[in-house]
Amino acid sequence: MNRRNFLAKSGVLAGAGMVMGLPGLASVATSANNKINVALIGVGKQGRVLFEAMANIPGLHFQAVCDIWDYNRRGGASKVRALQGHVPNQYSDIDDMLAKEKGLDAAIIATPDFWHSPHTVKCLDAGLHVYCEKMMAESIESARLMVHAMDRSGKLCQIGHQRRSNPRYTFTLDHLINDKKICGTIVNINGQWNRAVASSQDLQYKKSLAIDPKILEQYGYKDMHAFMNWRYYRDLSGGPISDLGAHQIDVYNWFLGCQPKSVFASGGNDYFKSREHYDNVMAIFEYDTPQGAVRAFYQVLTTTSSGGGYFESFMGTEGTVKIAELASNSAIYRESTAPSWDDLVKKGYLKRKSSPVQQKAAGGISSYESAAAEEYMLPGELTKPPHQPHLENFFAAIRGEAKLNCDARHAFESEAPIYWVNPSAETKSPIIFTEDHLKI
Amino acid sequence: MNSTNNEPRPSLQDTGSAILLRLWLSVRAIQTGIEKYAGSDVGRQPIKVDGNVYSSDLTAVTSSNKAYALDNYHGIPSSLQSAFAKEPLMADWMLKIYDAILGPSLIILGMLILLGVASRISLIALGLLYISLTWGLVLLKQDAGIAWLGIHIILVVMALQKTQHDPFRLLKKW
Repeated sequence: MNRRNFLAKSGVLAGAGMVMGLPGLASVATSANNKINVALIGVGKQGRVLFEAMANIPGLHFQAVCDIWDYNRRGGASKVRALQGHVPNQYSDIDDMLAKEKGLDAAIIATPDFWHSPHTVKCLDAGLHVYCEKMMAESIESARLMVHAMDRSGKLCQIGHQRRSNPRYTFTLDHLINDKKICGTIVNINGQWNRAVASSQDLQYKKSLAIDPKILEQYGYKDMHAFMNWRYYRDLSGGPISDLGAHQIDVYNWFLGCQPKSVFASGGNDYFKSREHYDNVMAIFEYDTPQGAVRAFYQVLTTTSSGGGYFESFMGTEGTVKIAELASNSAIYRESTAPSWDDLVKKGYLKRKSSPVQQKAAGGISSYESAAAEEYMLPGELTKPPHQPHLENFFAAIRGEAKLNCDARHAFESEAPIYWVNPSAETKSPIIFTEDHLKI
Repeated sequence: MNSTNNEPRPSLQDTGSAILLRLWLSVRAIQTGIEKYAGSDVGRQPIKVDGNVYSSDLTAVTSSNKAYALDNYHGIPSSLQSAFAKEPLMADWMLKIYDAILGPSLIILGMLILLGVASRISLIALGLLYISLTWGLVLLKQDAGIAWLGIHIILVVMALQKTQHDPFRLLKKW
């Protein structure tokens, strides 16, 4: 297969899957009382974010909590008790939990990235439906195993790219970009997650709460620092580009409906000199989409919050959609030469934000100046916790009432290019994707 | 008039001063306490696009009104909470207790001063409360707020001095 054929297959066919959303088929399998019995695997910071979102979803029973750190485990169990009135069964080892617990329907996995794949595979093989946080795994090989386990088990496996269930994002894609084509032809994408040094510091812990070194070693951590700060270790995670970038680069691929054909990245330890992963990474992806070539820039900076925090910006010949989970980071701009959007405003597709301020450029540069773009915004907001719709979709799929919005196969297609950002930055070379780079 | 009472009858201006100060301080304290239960009653509706609801989760604000409820209670504003959390002299447990009692304390003390129940004790307690607020603002170097509370303390002191001239009190002993 030559490259063009491969790209046609990987890009267009995989893209077709992304656009059409052909997730794992739903299956109906819940306990006798119609409650879904849930195990929480990993109840650290992110695990609790997911739990808080699930606390709003009816019909769930939190049966077991599993975490190697008793501090997290007790805290998680306490939250479950506060919600449902009794303490869940507690485990420090997932094998022990799977051997002893009967009647579990689903597992929510929010462990460090390098444990995602082993935990997901174990749970799927044990007959549980799985919701696993993104990034799927610390390596593309481990991510592949998750897809294979999903296929082998016939169980549902949703990956936590929660934007795919966020109605602000689905509305933007379905109505504004695909239906009304307000961007015109999308030619560039610009996205970022910029985080200040103060927010990127190592996580600290009380020495009295430290885990026994033997237990840490048993579970793959060289010490407590690695346990707390696994995001900065190469064997344990993909670093900032996967930790922060995966959500947004997933949106690139989802919205465009295909995978990129290449990536060229640069990165370095510009501030946090001792960290194994780059603290700043910039990457350019190139796409061949049905409507033409698209270049997508993405930067993740853990050394500055400058530049507006985090967003994904789809830049077209007639308009630009700048979208983010945070509504205040979002805006839609109409090029001065684009057809009027008044009818879209009238019908409720958009809200007008402000009139453009017309500034007269100095004579010498006036011929290069573009007229100011009109600013609009999405007509509504999501008032639930941002992870809740994606979890609702997962549980609805378990009940046979919906299809997954981001099963492991589609998540893999979207994440696969991200695994090649760090290698490109390390070799200072572009990587032209072949089938071997992106295949499941 | 009782011929054995040698105390001069309070003048109208003394009585008026005492009552006005008492009213001001009580209204100030009561409403400040009540405002700690204030929040917004926000009405949201799913947005309609071309006449149809897109998703029940995609909503827009249709109304927003100020409302009072116990659930809205916030003794110390969240912005100050986070600032205090960084102060080594402000222990977490102190902050939690203070957050819980500030609003009810202002309302109770304000009511006692308004009704004239143990006015002296109540005014002293209110003064101590303002001093505690001042200490917090000193930690945060909020000079304008410190000066503002200083004015409150002056008014409390003046009210204390005028208390004896205020005949309209329910419990005069303290």
